[in-house]
Amino acid sequence: MERVLLVYEKILRKIGLEKFGNLIEIIRINDGPVNSLKKLTYYDDLKKGTLVGTDEFGNRYYNNNYYFFGRNRWVEYADHVGFNYDGSQVPPEWYGWLHYKTDYLPENDPTRPNYPWVLKPSENLTGTKAAYMCYSTTKPKIVVWTPQSKQKA
Amino acid sequence: MLRSSIQKAAKVSRRCVHIGNTNKAAVAKPSAEQTLLEVYIDDKKVLVEPGTTVLQAAALVGVEIPRFCYHERLAIAGNCRMCLVEIEKSPKPVAACAMPVMNGWRVKTNSEMTRKAREGVMEFLLVNHPLDCPICDQGGECDLQDQSMAFGSDRSRFTDIDFSGKRAVEDKDIGPLVKTIMTRCIHCTRCIRFASEVAGVDDLGTTGRGSDMQVGTYIEKMFLSELSGNVIDLCPVGALTSKPYSFTARPWETRKIESIDVLDAVGSNIVVSTRTNEVMRILPLLNEQVNEEWLADKSRFSYDGLKTQRLAFPMVKFDSGELKAVEWEDTLKHAAQALNNANGQIVGIAGPLVDAEALIAFKDLLNKLGSEHVYTENAFPLSGSGIDIRASYLFNSKIVGIEQADLVLLIGTNPRYDAPLINTRIRKSYVHNELDVALIGPKIDLTYDYEHLGNSASTVKDLISGSHPFNKRLAQAKKPLIILGAQQLKRSDGAALLAAVQQLAKKTAEISKVDASWKVFNLLQEAASQVAALDLGYKPGISNLKSLPAKVLYLLGADDSDVLKESIPTDTFVIYQGHHGETGAELADVIFPGVTYTEKQGTYVNTEGRAQQTLNAVTPPGYARTDWKILRALSEIAGKTLEYETLQEVRKRLEEVSPNLTSYGNVQESNFIAQATELSKSVKNNLESKPIDLKLKKLEDYFMTDVISRSSVTMSKCIQAVLKQKQNKYYDGVEK
Amino acid sequence: MLIFKNTRFFDKVINNIPKRSFKITAARNHDSLFVHRDTKENNLDVKFEFTPENLKRAEAILAIYPEGHKRAAMIPLLDLAQRQNGWLPISAMHKVAELLNLPKMRVYEVATFYTMFMRNPTGKYHIQICTTTPCWLRGSDEILNCIKSKLNIDVGQISEDGKFSLSEVECLGACVNAPMIQINDDYYEDLTVKDTEEIISELKADKKPKAGPRSGRYAAEPITGLTSLTEEPYGPGFGVKSDL
Repeated sequence: MERVLLVYEKILRKIGLEKFGNLIEIIRINDGPVNSLKKLTYYDDLKKGTLVGTDEFGNRYYNNNYYFFGRNRWVEYADHVGFNYDGSQVPPEWYGWLHYKTDYLPENDPTRPNYPWVLKPSENLTGTKAAYMCYSTTKPKIVVWTPQSKQKA
Repeated sequence: MLRSSIQKAAKVSRRCVHIGNTNKAAVAKPSAEQTLLEVYIDDKKVLVEPGTTVLQAAALVGVEIPRFCYHERLAIAGNCRMCLVEIEKSPKPVAACAMPVMNGWRVKTNSEMTRKAREGVMEFLLVNHPLDCPICDQGGECDLQDQSMAFGSDRSRFTDIDFSGKRAVEDKDIGPLVKTIMTRCIHCTRCIRFASEVAGVDDLGTTGRGSDMQVGTYIEKMFLSELSGNVIDLCPVGALTSKPYSFTARPWETRKIESIDVLDAVGSNIVVSTRTNEVMRILPLLNEQVNEEWLADKSRFSYDGLKTQRLAFPMVKFDSGELKAVEWEDTLKHAAQALNNANGQIVGIAGPLVDAEALIAFKDLLNKLGSEHVYTENAFPLSGSGIDIRASYLFNSKIVGIEQADLVLLIGTNPRYDAPLINTRIRKSYVHNELDVALIGPKIDLTYDYEHLGNSASTVKDLISGSHPFNKRLAQAKKPLIILGAQQLKRSDGAALLAAVQQLAKKTAEISKVDASWKVFNLLQEAASQVAALDLGYKPGISNLKSLPAKVLYLLGADDSDVLKESIPTDTFVIYQGHHGETGAELADVIFPGVTYTEKQGTYVNTEGRAQQTLNAVTPPGYARTDWKILRALSEIAGKTLEYETLQEVRKRLEEVSPNLTSYGNVQESNFIAQATELSKSVKNNLESKPIDLKLKKLEDYFMTDVISRSSVTMSKCIQAVLKQKQNKYYDGVEK
Repeated sequence: MLIFKNTRFFDKVINNIPKRSFKITAARNHDSLFVHRDTKENNLDVKFEFTPENLKRAEAILAIYPEGHKRAAMIPLLDLAQRQNGWLPISAMHKVAELLNLPKMRVYEVATFYTMFMRNPTGKYHIQICTTTPCWLRGSDEILNCIKSKLNIDVGQISEDGKFSLSEVECLGACVNAPMIQINDDYYEDLTVKDTEEIISELKADKKPKAGPRSGRYAAEPITGLTSLTEEPYGPGFGVKSDL
């Protein structure tokens, strides 16, 4: 499949249809039309880029300076989260790179401290079943009778 | 002694109230002008009866004079000086509350002198009043706050440089209901006058003099009375506030719903203050016909009982013997099955707090299911006229009638605790109208003197035969009243007693030659539901279940019934519908959570036969539902659908049965008294010799009488306080 | 953190800062309480009964007032009780309430209103010294100090033997004869420190000192002798027209 797409791409470029060639290239790079459609559904976007790294949760980080600043670094979330991806799933070390706080990738960032007590990052659970709910600290307005049954004769 | 001592002042005040009621008519009809005085209030002419005070005359033309100590139901004190007004040609301002008007006076309530006087008085009051309005419970409904805004100076001369500090007074412990912050007291003495004139408990007074004067009890002693809560309303500042309500809500953030109290049969009008769907407090609502502006402590303070021990979920008793909350549908089906299987062998008992709507739905349902056994908890003999003639179970002369009476004979009742507001009427008449009281029953403290005729029921017989020395008094009386306590009808000779009292009433009417319209016989009910139930044809009083075929026992808020005290057969299916978990709920196989009087729009008929309605103040807790709606739903599931769906339709049905039940606020004059008396002659039973006893004899008996007040923490604190008071050396009550 | 070894410097700094930034002064309140507190001498267990003679007096007092107005006898009866007991215990108030058939509170009200009803124990000789302006100008302070040192008590206290109690009062209406003291029912006027000492010594010996002015003058007459009304009083008929 990849080969076929490569052939089409070359032909299109040859006959001068550069743009269509680019489209085919993007589809090819994103693992064929089916996967491309899937990514398009998930992210409303289909981009070509180099995979610069993968974090411990399986999120993949891409870079392509062809796109202008602000759109040239992106993340594709781990496959298992499906539609339930969320910005907070990006761990802090990748957050910096993704938001241009640093140009170093996490593995070769000299400024990043590596304390043993740092916890594993967790995503924001608000809106999910696991969201934190405080227990009520107010007295109930009505005290309900606790059933006590008396035996009849 | 007391009566004569405050009579002078009281007489003035009574006349004033009277004038207040009638003077509009007097203004409209200048025919009586000769006897009237012509007074000008701010150049507005008004004609008043001699003896009217300046303040009352001003009220007639809508000019309100500020006051703190003056209260129209209390004796005039004239010590706060807030009502100073200028009277033309008078060199000094005059206290309007205590000054009777003279012909041709021109009163200036808005002149320079008046305003200056008010500002001055206000300044003096505020010199020693703490500025703690932000933490004061009276804030927002404080007379001092309002009047200092309206009539006080706009700036303060109060500087702390050379001032020796504000007066500080130690707080008094006067009981679990009234909180005192005596530093706030402005010495209006309203509470003192209320205690001695209305409540009849002379425990409050002023001690000391000048700036050291303080209001209190002098000795360490609590002010305990069944009416003590009223001093909170009377206090124009925050010196006396409600202890249970303290720091819970502000008056401007509460919703006020006008309703009816159901904890006794007086039917006092109340205002239920709610906030965030919670009853915050209960205040009296003015109704001259019923409670004037007072409210008894049980009615005022037992609202915390509405929030505890509540039945909030329908429950079913499982085979394990455990009551568990289940869905409405299942509960109804379970109950309906039991009702249908009973083949009409159903006994229903309605409790004391049930509204007329639920009563009619209950009776209709049971009748449709083929049972005629619908009872009330409280007894009433069916022999004689029975419940066919309303006059035999009503307070016929009405509550206001007490004020015209000159002799009251109480038989087997303690109005002080059975119906405190009827007792205040009797006391009011006793103090102001030379009313004399006699009592047959155990010796009790009624707050006024009475002639004790012993506690034997046979005294009634002696009175009928004319051999009793008291007959002379009865013959002299112009407007005698005989008040029989409904609790006596529970006696085994209840029918005979009722018949005897009816005969006595007839005889009294004959020998004292009263007017035909004057009704001598009065029955004092105790349960709020009783009159409506009797109007609807309930059978009154059920004492044992054995004689009845009862496969299903349906208790509609009935917890005090004698039936529950005996053993109920195991195979009897018990349905309890009500709002509090108590005796009834403990026995139940099925529980339907009903609502209390603050949660429904329901009709109640008081002991006079006055139909009044409660209104929804809060929503029912959990899955609780209005009682008649539960019964309606049950009827549908049981396949015997009741023919009404809305409140209007239920009330239409009520009207069909007894039209007076929907004539709200009115009393239908009771009649056929003669016929009732005639029928009572058919009662052949004889009076027994056992002495008449009373249920509520002492103050500690008063506080807990029904499911709501029994669940109330405040009420149990009251009882504790009374018992503690009895340990106090300085306690000198008669009950000791 | 600095540690001051020389605390004297530190104290000086602190002492120069006002303790509180606001100023308060004591409220001028009455020196007696207007609520009842049970004490050893004054409680319900200490009974009070009128003596038979006083009971007769009480009846006589009550007889003055018409039926329905008997409560007017309250002040005379309280006074009678106080005279019998030296002061007015709570049980005496209760006794009066009982005699008058009134609520006790009504008696408390009266007894606390009048400052001459002593609701706390007093000595056998209750000394009341006037310190209002005229007496003060004439040296009541010295008299007061003399009494204090002689009896070794302060104002409001009872001497150890229970014989004397001292209170400071406002004008007793004998300004012409200032300075003065009142001991029980008697006025001692025109006092000097020496006079006061004499009076107290006599009382200590339970002798009754002569009441009245100590300067030798009669009542409030001028100390230098009469300056007016010196001549013989005119007889009857003076200045009346002869034909009348």
